[in-house]
Amino acid sequence: MFVYAVILSSQSIHADSQFQASNSKISLVTESLTLTENDELLVGIKFELEEGWHTYWENPGDAGEGASVNWSLSNGFEASEILWPGPHRIPVEPLMTFGYNDEVILLTKISSLKNASFPLDIKAKVGWYTCKDICIPQEGEVSLEINKGEILLTEESAEIDEYLSTVPVDFEQLYRIERLDDKFFLQTDIGEGDHYQDVYFFPKAYGLTAYSDDQKYEKNLNSFILEISASKAQLNFDAFEGVIEATNSEETSYFNISYPLEDEKAENNQSIILLLLFAFIGGLILNIMPCVFPILSIKILRFMDHSENSSTKTYKFGLYYSFGVILSFLVIALVLLLLKSSGESIGWGFQLQYPIVISVLFYLFIALGFMFMSNLVFGGQLGQLSSVARVNNESLESFLTGILAVVVASPCTAPFMGSAIGFALLQPGINSIFIFLSLGIGFALPYFILSVKPSLLTFLPKPGAWMETFKQFMAFPMWGSALWLLWVLSGQVDSDTVVMVLIGGLLISLSLWLLEKNTSEIKWVKWLVRLVALAFVLFSVSIIPTSYSEKDTQSQEELVYSEVLLDQYRNSQEIIFLNFTADWCITCKVNERVALKTKSVKDIIKQKNIKYLEADWTRKDSDIAQKLEEFGRTGVPLYLLYPSQGEPTILPEILTEDTLVRYLTEIN
Amino acid sequence: MKKNPFINLLIFLFFSEICFSYEAIDTKAPDFTLSNSFGEEISLSEFIGKKVIIEWTNHGCPFVAKHYKTGNMQSTQQFSKEIDAVWLSIISSAPGTQGYVTPLEANELTMKRSASPSHVLLDSDGTVGKMYEAKTTPHMYIIDEGGILRYQGAIDDAGGRGFMFKDLLKAKNYIKNGLIELNNGDDISSPITKPYGCSVKYAS
Repeated sequence: MFVYAVILSSQSIHADSQFQASNSKISLVTESLTLTENDELLVGIKFELEEGWHTYWENPGDAGEGASVNWSLSNGFEASEILWPGPHRIPVEPLMTFGYNDEVILLTKISSLKNASFPLDIKAKVGWYTCKDICIPQEGEVSLEINKGEILLTEESAEIDEYLSTVPVDFEQLYRIERLDDKFFLQTDIGEGDHYQDVYFFPKAYGLTAYSDDQKYEKNLNSFILEISASKAQLNFDAFEGVIEATNSEETSYFNISYPLEDEKAENNQSIILLLLFAFIGGLILNIMPCVFPILSIKILRFMDHSENSSTKTYKFGLYYSFGVILSFLVIALVLLLLKSSGESIGWGFQLQYPIVISVLFYLFIALGFMFMSNLVFGGQLGQLSSVARVNNESLESFLTGILAVVVASPCTAPFMGSAIGFALLQPGINSIFIFLSLGIGFALPYFILSVKPSLLTFLPKPGAWMETFKQFMAFPMWGSALWLLWVLSGQVDSDTVVMVLIGGLLISLSLWLLEKNTSEIKWVKWLVRLVALAFVLFSVSIIPTSYSEKDTQSQEELVYSEVLLDQYRNSQEIIFLNFTADWCITCKVNERVALKTKSVKDIIKQKNIKYLEADWTRKDSDIAQKLEEFGRTGVPLYLLYPSQGEPTILPEILTEDTLVRYLTEIN
Repeated sequence: MKKNPFINLLIFLFFSEICFSYEAIDTKAPDFTLSNSFGEEISLSEFIGKKVIIEWTNHGCPFVAKHYKTGNMQSTQQFSKEIDAVWLSIISSAPGTQGYVTPLEANELTMKRSASPSHVLLDSDGTVGKMYEAKTTPHMYIIDEGGILRYQGAIDDAGGRGFMFKDLLKAKNYIKNGLIELNNGDDISSPITKPYGCSVKYAS
């Protein structure tokens, strides 16, 4: 009778601790059936799914939902949050979900307080989804009784421990997250530790990373990098949080990752008023830049001439000019915004990255200089076209001058205000338009004021022959600007192409000279000369380079590594920074973006005259391979810093701006 | 060779309607034409001038089922009808997968559930679903009178673990709130939320 009762009771406990649903079964498992006060007990909900079925992790990925457990415990006991074992990838093309196939135990710690009243009745109401290609929502209740006593491990405890070992722990290695464009890079220095064969990142929340995109894992000698696509949902996060699954030959480990993310918007929190003020001042300063000053000064002198006759009209020219300037800046702002929205990361100064733009500007500056020297008047033809409404044409001319001023100003703005305008472009659309507007107003203002109040210029001598001399002199800053443009061009194309553009400049000058001297009375001669001039111009335009020459692939800062060059520098006791890189090396590219190409690093390289050599291993080169081998490497990245005398230092594989600056500062 | 931003600009201008993703919040929603459950060809573009709500659905999905069983989806449809918006329910389940229905079955479902979509559209090859990157059923979108996508994500904030224990009528309904905000001339306060539910059963 007694025996019978025991069997009955054990059966009833058993039945309660399990719940059978379609295609799945849950049970409440515990590491011990006894527990004392002030102690902890590990219990879990075990999901046993039929083959091919799965249930979800706390972040289910693109679809589905993790299980939820509502605990009800006797007085004096508390349940922890679910401890989720490391998840697996369960792709459902074209989507990606995260969860557990076939079986899992979701663990919970139960703590007993001082006043715990035994026996402990554990009841868990569980809701979960059992999924294959379809999902079945399921609900069940399981319960268990725990008596007072020392922990006595059950058979189930081994299984519980197994799952406990896959619950993510904090990642002990040094790591960082860099966001570059639409990718996150997880970089880790694993020190002396072993390498993982594979690493995968599971994000904690929606909107951080793209679930279904492949992640790229790259091993280096003592570091690794994982490239993860950012989510297109672009939600803002304070931290990059999730779990990495790291697999080596024996086991798979799971680690928690949490790395603060800088809020991109926070950086731009500069007061808009201040930005507008800077833009306005920048616009004012532009007036005296060598590109712009000649044109403006000559224009101003011209309407001074007018004001002698009728003082009432000049403000009109100022108005039309300002209109031209501001309109041009607005057009530029809109074009830049459009480019930005197409995903192009551009800053101001992008216009000087195109040989075609530089060449056209070069011709323009040559031509303007020529016009200052000669008697050709820009827009003079327009004036002749209609004698009916002369005033209107002068207004049009002022408007066009405004546009021209902005065009000729563009090369001068680039080095001078490039970063400021680039910053403006980071602002939300409407703000950056206001910044450009403010720039335009600042740019147009001096001219406008003088047009309204020409009397401000009474300190100047009376108009006369000196104005012609002044005009001719102004050709030189124009040609100076042309020279500078040519120098920029020479950094982008080879010397043959530069010479072609110079020939174009010569022909443009020749055609202008022809037009000036073209005073023949015979009509067909006049037209022939014009045709020849036009042919010269067209030819000049046709030889404009439209793309970069090969030369561009190397920027001027780094030198191409060769053993000979290295030896030469070593012999002359230079400090040398040697960068072994390759296009396919993610770590190298990230290091270059976040450390090597930063301004502070470039500055210190320049300042200390450090020779920066780059050994490009994109196409495996036996010389470079040999050099790598000398340092016990079989791959890139490798960064070597040679002091003027003595052995080189091997820099860490993961570079930061700070560490690199420190190394470069200390080396001698 | 450097990337040419002007080429990108051209690509952007010509293909902006074809390449589509979440980034497209506040840009033009791509047009599509699908057959409705009565065999008529329906295009998104014919509803310019009205707000359009798109619901990805699959009647076999327990998430969708709960929204219909509790009347939550129907009341959201009713709400949109009152403000004269168009409601498109799209089914992207491939033949042979859960949620795939014939036009006749689609009409029966609408009747049985007292649903009031303007149209039930059949997208069994998943073209439109993939174009909109619809991930779950339900997955909701709001398009404004100008054809601009203003919202994508969940129907409400009841998603997350424990969904099946939650009272949907107490949840914050993103569609109703979004429509109210748009009607007041405001921007939608959370234009992107995490869609939750079953995976869309695309043809593999």
